[in-house]
Amino acid sequence: MKRLDTDVVVIGGGSTGLGVVRDAAMRGYRAVLVERVDLGQGTTGRFHGLLHSGGRYVVSDPGSATECAEENAILRRIQASAVEDTGGFFVTLAGDDPAYADKFLAGAKATGVPASEISVKEALRREPRLDPHIQRAIEVADGSVDGWQLVWGAARSAEAHGAKVLTYHRVTKIERDGDRVAAVICRDEKGGEDVRINCTFVLNCAGPWAGQISEMAGAHPVEVVPGRGIMIAMNHRLVNTVINRCVYPTDGDILVPVHTVSIIGTTDIHETDPDHLPIPHNEVQQMLDAGEAMIPGFRKARALHAWSGSRPLIKDKRVSVEDTRHMSRGMAVIDHSTRDGLMGMLTIGGGKLTTYRLMAEHIVDAMNDQLGENRPCTTADEVIPGSEDRKLYTVTHRLEDREEDRLDDQIICECELMNRSMFVRLLEEQPNATLDDLRRQLRLGMGPCQGGFCAARAAGLACSEKAIDAERASGLLRLFLKHRWIGIWPILYGQQVRQTALDHWIFAGTLDVEHLPQPEEEIVR
Amino acid sequence: MSDVVVIGAGLAGLVAALRLARAGKSVTLTTKGPGGLHLSQGTVDILGYTPERVSAPLDAVASVPAGHPYASIGAEAVGSAVSWLAEEFGPELLTGDPARNFQFPTAVGALRPTALAQPSMVAGDAVGGKSYAVVGVRQLKDFPADLIAGNLARSKAPDGGALSAHSAWIDLPARKGEADPTPLTYARAMDDQSFAATFAKAVGAVAGKADVVALPAVLGSKRRDVWRQVADQLGRDICEIPLPPPSVPGIRLYDALLAMVRAAGVRFIQGSRIVSFTPGGDGVASVTLAAAGGPRHLKAASFVFAPGGFESGALDVDSFGTITEPVFGLPLTATDAGPLIPSDYWGPHALFEVGVRTDDAGRPIDAAGAVVHTNLFVAGGIIAGCERWREKSGDGIAVATAVRAADHITGGAR
Repeated sequence: MKRLDTDVVVIGGGSTGLGVVRDAAMRGYRAVLVERVDLGQGTTGRFHGLLHSGGRYVVSDPGSATECAEENAILRRIQASAVEDTGGFFVTLAGDDPAYADKFLAGAKATGVPASEISVKEALRREPRLDPHIQRAIEVADGSVDGWQLVWGAARSAEAHGAKVLTYHRVTKIERDGDRVAAVICRDEKGGEDVRINCTFVLNCAGPWAGQISEMAGAHPVEVVPGRGIMIAMNHRLVNTVINRCVYPTDGDILVPVHTVSIIGTTDIHETDPDHLPIPHNEVQQMLDAGEAMIPGFRKARALHAWSGSRPLIKDKRVSVEDTRHMSRGMAVIDHSTRDGLMGMLTIGGGKLTTYRLMAEHIVDAMNDQLGENRPCTTADEVIPGSEDRKLYTVTHRLEDREEDRLDDQIICECELMNRSMFVRLLEEQPNATLDDLRRQLRLGMGPCQGGFCAARAAGLACSEKAIDAERASGLLRLFLKHRWIGIWPILYGQQVRQTALDHWIFAGTLDVEHLPQPEEEIVR
Repeated sequence: MSDVVVIGAGLAGLVAALRLARAGKSVTLTTKGPGGLHLSQGTVDILGYTPERVSAPLDAVASVPAGHPYASIGAEAVGSAVSWLAEEFGPELLTGDPARNFQFPTAVGALRPTALAQPSMVAGDAVGGKSYAVVGVRQLKDFPADLIAGNLARSKAPDGGALSAHSAWIDLPARKGEADPTPLTYARAMDDQSFAATFAKAVGAVAGKADVVALPAVLGSKRRDVWRQVADQLGRDICEIPLPPPSVPGIRLYDALLAMVRAAGVRFIQGSRIVSFTPGGDGVASVTLAAAGGPRHLKAASFVFAPGGFESGALDVDSFGTITEPVFGLPLTATDAGPLIPSDYWGPHALFEVGVRTDDAGRPIDAAGAVVHTNLFVAGGIIAGCERWREKSGDGIAVATAVRAADHITGGAR
């Protein structure tokens, strides 16, 4: 068994875990993060892409509103390349109560969330697809944020401070030495061996899976209630500003322009198993109706892809009501020493991607206290690698890049303007990656054709770059097609049916991928 | 007014128009775009999988289940329709035997069955013991030579014998300073004999030993003997492997068919969609073309509707899951897409079997079996009953149903 020694093991490669490992490493702790699959493959990769201005919570949850407003400003400063400054509107639709906008404005003032009412005419001028019957519009500082860019940026920052980030390392056991956590045992899923990580502290950032992790340490399982929500990416930017419905937060009330698409969300249904999140037909219809209410003709627009994510809501009766020092609105740090008599382990739950840095600050502060250390948090000040120029992302960035290199390089994914060098560079860094792993960082296959043209190219290129052999390349191609389909079939209507038929003509008709020689074992990662 | 208006310029529409014109009918062919051949592999599939791999396609056609488009046509008629088309194309463009399938390498290295092929592809037929040198062009991104060779090398030929393959690359821009050309750029460059000679020389320098040199299907657009020039210069067999769209072999077939159709006197209208129709008597009086200047009504005694299937938008699914045929509102085999879309990518996708049911003459019928319009015939992808890309049957169905429609209109004239 491979052995590693460290101070802290962070479990979970979502935004929280990456924020935490970065924070711990920046405070001088030796830190190792383990993630059972790829970074940002859970909740972090399955949200609507909103960088909260705080507006959403000014009435329902004022504490969260203030936190969001502050963290929004910090992320724009330290992680500009993951953030687009779209701005946001809260609009009162024809049937909505116009008085809510007054409560909203009052709440915004009280919580320090920048917000100002603009005329309906001005709102329609800037977003002409909005329903012309809207009654009021309030402008806020919403943005959109790419969860994968965010976590990979944080990972690079953590690594620059000496941390290790281990993907495809599934925790199988947490060992104790009496009442103290002593080691985390992982299965290296790609390398095929077990890894023992000796440590003095474990920070459980497994989100919806946090209950399973706490149980492994012999603690009372943390009660996680996964709150499932579905999202649908619509082709193109139907709007360029985040559109929120100016009502008390409800289902299907937000449309976020992210990269080349617009994402509508979301629902909130309690689930029991975060590994099996359906995309039910009735919720898809509900989202389309919600879109139609904001943008007339929404149902005629083209839906590209749907997904289902799980909020890591922790409802834990064991947390003492007095234990609020390290709790803040919407997030909770659970101290297993007082709760379970287990030293050296903390669990964090709740929160939102916008406040990922603050969540990390809270849990690492709590760890400091338990270790009797006084190491200050510096994560709000240091710019994350890739954002040194402090230039906020814009949707035209890649177009600008391709204008530069189009005569020297091939475009592998036309929809997302991903060229050959981008793909090869990342593959060199991550030779064990699946096409899905590469997709999350490069947006390969995420545009209108959903991989119809680029998937086989990518597999061929991976094979040519000698990173993998034909058997693995073919297996990865099959896996990629299978995975893309998960998000296509629930929204298969309109122009996407036409696209799917064309893609089927290519993959089955021309290439006959169904009859590629079978691998000895189906490739799953 | 024409005798017949044919709607659609895919394989079915072009074949119907040619067959009708050959029989002396005056024909108007109207199409929104250039049809599906540009997206095809440029061969004529009859039946490739049932789902077992098929080596004798006409035998397999004879035993398709009821409800399959071939079921009401029969193997003999399918064979004679495809053979007629092969004769029309001539052996420089289409060769082979409708009773026997080739098994050709695809651009990812799978072995794909097809019946009639372009002569430039024939040497690729996978028989045990054959060795391939797969030569890619660095500038051409849709021909992954290493993946193709790697997969061929771990495949068995359908006869059970082993195959061997290796890959090699050449670096040869089709146009100076262009890093990302399409296959068409190469095909057009190959029409120049000296570029083809330079290409063959470069291939010869890297190919190494093998029975067949496998190349991307870009060997000429207008000039039909580029492949022979390359093979002669290399001194051995070569085979073209079709690429994803735009498909050079598909465009060759399209160009040739369209030229024949035009030479036969067919009036050709491209660029606008047929959006509706006017009934007359117990049939269709005219169809309405949404032309740029305003609607135009095309009248005819008979109509052949060959608009393709879901891929062309001829069949539509709205956001509530309702499937419709928007031009004539034809009755379909199913109207609710919901239950027909499976969560498994690899399983059958029943949605794409939905379409129009016909009588033995190829006229749309309703659920009770009654003919909808006495002078309206359908051909090709709009006909219900199978997933064409999965079983590799789209070309054969298009040709056979187009010939059936044409022959019924001309009263069985051959």
